[in-house]
Amino acid sequence: MAGLTATTARRAAIGSRRLPRLSPYLFIAPFFVVFAAFGVYPLMYALRLSFTRWRGAGEATWVGVGNYVYLLTNPDFWASLGNSAVMWLLIVPIQVVAGLGAAVLLANARLRLRGLFRVAFIAPFVTPLVAMAQVWIVVFDEDYGLVNHVLGLVGLPAVGWLTSTAWAKPTLALLFLWKTTGFAIIILLAGLQAVPGAVYEAASIDGASRWRQFWSLTVPLVRRSIAFLVVVQTLAVFQMFAEPYVVTEGGPYGSTTTAGLYLYEHISASDLGTGAANSFLLVLLVFGLSLGAVRLLRPKEEVS
Amino acid sequence: MSTPAMARRGFLKGALGIGALAAAGACAPGGGTSAAPSKLAKPTTTSSASAKGEITIWNRSGDLFKVFDAAIGKFREAYPGVKVNHQAVDIDAKLANTLISGTDVPDGSFWDDAKIGGQSEHLYDLTDLISPYRDKIAPYKLSVNTVGGKIYGVPWDLDPGLLWYREDILQDAGVDPAGISTYDDLLTAARTIKEKDPKTRPIHLDKNPFLGQLWLEMLANQQGTSLADAQGKLRLESAEYRRTLGWIQDAVKGELVTHAPYLEAADINTLDSGQQVFVPWAIWWSFAPQQLLKATKGKWRAAPLPAWTPGGARSGAMGGSSFIIPAKAKNPELAWLLYEFLCFTEPGYTAVYGPNSIYPGGLSTSVPSFSPALRPDKPLFKPIDALGGQDLWKVAVEAAATIPAAAPLPVWWAQSVDYLGDNTQRLIEGKMSPDDVIAESAKKIQRNLIDRS
Repeated sequence: MAGLTATTARRAAIGSRRLPRLSPYLFIAPFFVVFAAFGVYPLMYALRLSFTRWRGAGEATWVGVGNYVYLLTNPDFWASLGNSAVMWLLIVPIQVVAGLGAAVLLANARLRLRGLFRVAFIAPFVTPLVAMAQVWIVVFDEDYGLVNHVLGLVGLPAVGWLTSTAWAKPTLALLFLWKTTGFAIIILLAGLQAVPGAVYEAASIDGASRWRQFWSLTVPLVRRSIAFLVVVQTLAVFQMFAEPYVVTEGGPYGSTTTAGLYLYEHISASDLGTGAANSFLLVLLVFGLSLGAVRLLRPKEEVS
Repeated sequence: MSTPAMARRGFLKGALGIGALAAAGACAPGGGTSAAPSKLAKPTTTSSASAKGEITIWNRSGDLFKVFDAAIGKFREAYPGVKVNHQAVDIDAKLANTLISGTDVPDGSFWDDAKIGGQSEHLYDLTDLISPYRDKIAPYKLSVNTVGGKIYGVPWDLDPGLLWYREDILQDAGVDPAGISTYDDLLTAARTIKEKDPKTRPIHLDKNPFLGQLWLEMLANQQGTSLADAQGKLRLESAEYRRTLGWIQDAVKGELVTHAPYLEAADINTLDSGQQVFVPWAIWWSFAPQQLLKATKGKWRAAPLPAWTPGGARSGAMGGSSFIIPAKAKNPELAWLLYEFLCFTEPGYTAVYGPNSIYPGGLSTSVPSFSPALRPDKPLFKPIDALGGQDLWKVAVEAAATIPAAAPLPVWWAQSVDYLGDNTQRLIEGKMSPDDVIAESAKKIQRNLIDRS
C-alpha cells in the first residue's frame, strides 16, 4: 500500500512538472492551428495542385513538372516577367531617391508647413487604388485626356499614354509611384528619425558640408530602411495586379501584363494547375530578388 | 526552469508531422468533386399550389436585377408556396469559385453562355426538362448550352447582330439601306458616303480586344462556324474566317474604319459627330442612342446584318446568357420551376421584356430565345423614340430567326483573346495580314490552350 502511494505521488509530481512544460505550447498552439489551417494547408494544396492539370471540375490529372516546363518554355510567361522587371526599373530606383529626398526635407524641423507636406505625401497612399486608377484613365486618355490637351496647347502631338506599347508601362509606373511613394517616405523618415542628432552635430563641428553629411552619414545610417523598402517594393512590383487590371487590362498587346496579372489570368480561366505553378515560380523569383537586395544593401559592418 | 531542447524539438516535429499528414491526405485537388454530373428530373409536384420551399437565386446587379425582381413577383403569384431569395451578386467573380468549392451554392444563377461549357460538371443536366421545349428554342442557344449531348443551361436571351446606321446621312448620300444586303454592299455604301464627306470613317471596328473577338465570332456564327467545333477542335483555319478577316483588311485599306473602344469617349464623340455611320453590332447597342448619344438621338436605325454571300444568314449572335442550376443546389426542382416560368411561359418572359417600371417601353437590349415569344406581330417591347420610333422588335426577331446553330464555347475562349483578339487588333492597325492572324493565333491557341485543356 505504501509502495502504491509512493508511486502515485511520484506520478503526480512528474505530471505537475510536465504541465508547466506543456502550458507554453498550449498558449501558442492557437497560432499554429490557425497558421496550419490558413497558411500551411493552402500552401501544400497549391503545391500539389501545381503538379496537376485541373480546371475546377472532375478529377485532377497528375502532370508532374509539366506545368512548370510549360511556363518556363512559354514566351508569354517570360514577357510577363520582363514587363515586371521594366516596371521595377521605372519604379524602385526613382522611389528610393525621391522618397529619401522628401524624407530628408520632412525631417527638417525648420521646414514650414511640415504637417501639410506630410499629409500631402501620405494622402495618395491612403486613397483607394481603384478611384485613383479611374482618374488616371481620364487624365491620360488619348483623345480627351488632360495631359494630351495640355500637350496640344503647346503644339505637341497627342500621345497614346495607355494605348501604345511604348508609353503604357511608364504611365502605369507613374500611377504606382504616385500611390506608394508616401509609404516609402514613412519608412525612410522613420529611419532618419532614429539617427541621433549628435552625429550631425559632430560632423558639423568637423566641418562636413550638408552634402557630405547626407552622403557620409544619412545614406549609410538609413541603409537598413532602404533595404527594407527595396525588398517590400520588389515584392509589390512583381505582384502588381490592380493597376494594370483596372487601367489597361494588361494591354496594349500584353505590354502591361505584369507577373501578377499573368498569374491571375490562369486562375480566372480556371487553369488552376498552371496558376499554382506560376505562383511558386513567382515566389522563388521574388525570394531570390529579395535576398539579393538584402545582401547588396546590408550595412558594411554586417558584411565584415 | 530550463526547457529541455528535445521537448521543444519534439513539439515542433509533432506539429510539422501533423501538418504534413493533414496536407498529404487532404490536398488532393478535385478529390471531393463528383465526376458524373447529376440529371435533374421533372419536379414531383403536380400543381403550382403544392410547390413549397425556399430558393436562393443569384443575378447581376443593376437595372436587370430590378427587372427580374419584378418578374419573380409574378412567379410568386403563380407559385405562392415558393419563397425566392433573390440576390444581386458579382457573378463573374464569384460563381465559378462557389461551384468549385461547393459551399453556399445558390439554387440557380444567371450566367454568360461562354462560361457554362467549362463548368458543366458542377451543373445539373437539364436535358429531360428542356426536352418538351427543345424544338422551340433558338438553335444557337441550344448549341451553346449543350456539352456532350447534354443541356446544362436554361436558354435565356438571344442577342442578334444588327446593322445600326445613320438614316439621315444615308439619305443625304443617296444610299438605300435596304440595298445593303451583302458585306460587299456595305463597303460600297461606306465608300459612297466617304466620297461625299471625306472626313467620315463610316464603319465602326472595335478597339477592345475582347469585344473585337466577340464581334468576330458573331460574324463567324453568321456563316455557321465558330472558333471551335463541338469536340473542341479549332476551326480558325477556314474560308469563313479568312473571308471575314479579308473584309476587315479591305475596310481598313479603304480608310473606311473608325477604330474606337466600345462606347468610350472617343467612340461616342465620333458617333455623335457623324464620323461613324455604320455600326455592325449586337442588339444591345440600342442602349447607346437611348442613353449616350445626345446629338444624334433619333437619327439611328437598325437593319439586319448584311449577308456574307447572297441569300446567306442576315444575323449572328453576339453574347448572351442562360440560367444554370448547380449540382449542389438544395432545391433544384423549385429553381427549375422559376426558370421554366421565366423562359417558357408568356407571363414570365412578358414580365421581363414587356413594359415595366424600370423600362417603361420594355427591355430592348435582347430578345427571348423561345420562339413562341418571338412573334413579329406581337411585340414585347415598344417602338423606340431614340430610333425615330422604329419598331426594333420586328427587325430583331426577323434577324434572330436566321441565326445559325453554333458549338459550345470552349473553356479557353476568354484566354484566346490574348491571341486572336490581339491579332485582330493588329490587323485593324495594319500590322498583320489575315493569313498572319490565322496562322499566328491558331499556333498559340493550339499550343497554349487546346493541348492543355
